[in-house]
Amino acid sequence: MMIRATDDAHAMTDAAGAQRGELVRVRILRQDVPSGESYWERFEVPYERNMNVISILQKIAAQARSQDGRKVAPVAWDCNCLEEVCGSCTMLINGRTRMACSALVDRLLAEDGDEIELRPMSKFPVVRDLVVDRRRLFRGLEKVEAWVPVEGSYDLGPGPRISPDEQEDAYPLSTCMSCGCCLEACPQYTKVEVVRREGESEKDFEARRKAAYDAAFVGAHAVSQAMLFNAHPTGRMIADERMKALTRQGGIQMCGNAQNCVAVCPKGIPLTRSIARAGRAATVWAIKRLFDR
Amino acid sequence: MSGESPSFLERHQFLIYRLFSLAGFVPVGAFLIVHLLTNASILAGDGGRTFQSRVDMIHSLGPLLVPVEWAFIFLPMIFHAVVGFVIIANGLPNVGSYPYVSNLRYTLQRATGMIAFAFIIWHIWQLHALGKPFGGGRFDAHEAASSTAAVLGSTAVSILYCIGILSAVFHFANGLWTLGITWGLWTSPAAMRRANVVSIAVGVVLAAAGLGAVAGFRSLPADSASHGHAASAVHETLPPSSP
Ligand code: SF4
Ligand code: SF4
Ligand code: FES
Repeated sequence: MMIRATDDAHAMTDAAGAQRGELVRVRILRQDVPSGESYWERFEVPYERNMNVISILQKIAAQARSQDGRKVAPVAWDCNCLEEVCGSCTMLINGRTRMACSALVDRLLAEDGDEIELRPMSKFPVVRDLVVDRRRLFRGLEKVEAWVPVEGSYDLGPGPRISPDEQEDAYPLSTCMSCGCCLEACPQYTKVEVVRREGESEKDFEARRKAAYDAAFVGAHAVSQAMLFNAHPTGRMIADERMKALTRQGGIQMCGNAQNCVAVCPKGIPLTRSIARAGRAATVWAIKRLFDR
Repeated sequence: MSGESPSFLERHQFLIYRLFSLAGFVPVGAFLIVHLLTNASILAGDGGRTFQSRVDMIHSLGPLLVPVEWAFIFLPMIFHAVVGFVIIANGLPNVGSYPYVSNLRYTLQRATGMIAFAFIIWHIWQLHALGKPFGGGRFDAHEAASSTAAVLGSTAVSILYCIGILSAVFHFANGLWTLGITWGLWTSPAAMRRANVVSIAVGVVLAAAGLGAVAGFRSLPADSASHGHAASAVHETLPPSSP
């Protein structure tokens, strides 16, 4: 039902086990250029045991032929670590945002029909096929200064001690890999695509793009990272800066508490806890600012 | 660049969204509780006397009633609704792709907000004095029970009232839960679960009060209803105490 039998000799020798010689059907939403038209293309690849979506894409690249035998350009995609830590291979697999490298074909076929569907993330501008431009995601981290400020020209000595309890609290947040699943699933995080205008200088365009990113919702990942670094004894030194960023336009107030972020995060990061903590910190911070003026 | 400078709403987004959240709780939510519990007093079983005395208490504000209504009910409600529509316009519900309970609640929060908004406008037109110039305003403060019962006598109207009440109650109870996350009252998953139980309980009690009141008005004994009509004829000759 999900995998079609064939007498393709190549597939016969390639695959092992019960499903040897069968083909996996894949449907991919492609796009040739940024802001271009998108179109569906179907592919068939021989099934192998323990395949994941990346290995499917590798096979498609190798054969560079669509299901109906036409020679087509290989599908473009992003990946790096292949073990769910780099966060680069996010895509919509059977309609749900997840990591291609850890999406196992056996499970996908069991969960959904006779075809695997791949689409680029919908909240970021497509560069080509399954490759998207996630600069807004990183701009969000920049906005909340998601780092420990230790830049300097001399040795600052060892940092303060962090208790095991604090470490336990912070560790899960530190596993964020900037994959953007939380943003893709968030109903409050909507796509911002800034297109360069005729005759606009590179500098003006950059400024306009950043301004557009900053005006829109910063996203659950950045809120969580702000909470991670505000809890860190050295990172806390710029806690006010982060609170300022979190309460500016596009800040924590944009969250609508749909809690999709926490449901889809591949690292299981307690994002809603971070969001509620940020809400509490923002409440306290806003009241303090009101009286300290 | 002038066209891209942030608007007032955008520059004060945090403050406005927080005031929006607060307004939904007090005074709008608080009013909803008082309103539904007052209405539920029709269930006292005394042909609407308790209800009438509660209404009299509210109307004892006399000339202050109108400014109090505008300051604590209408204006906050308009503010909450306007910001609410901006929020709805900026979101992109996706329960189809991510059918999780809290996501469904996110979507329902927006749907019930819009239903409640439409219902409240209709409800004000139908019963409040503001509706009088437009052919509504059928509530009579002196014949509180019977004039309300006359409107709810229609089954269609009663069904629409039940939908409106349930929407408003869901919107308030679910909003109570999200408000606690927004302001940071409950931050851990366990605390959110406990708060959820409380919110559901509040919702169930208010829904029971609201639906109970509709049923109560509909089952008012016919004689007290007719007595009401006779009495209201007497009142028509008196100057109206509330504008
Ligand atoms: S919080 Fe989770 S879903 Fe979001 S970017 Fe980090 S790892 Fe990905
Ligand atoms: S809880 Fe907030 S950040 Fe997370 S998905 Fe919902 S709206 Fe987005
Ligand atoms: S390739 Fe690194 S997370 Fe998938």
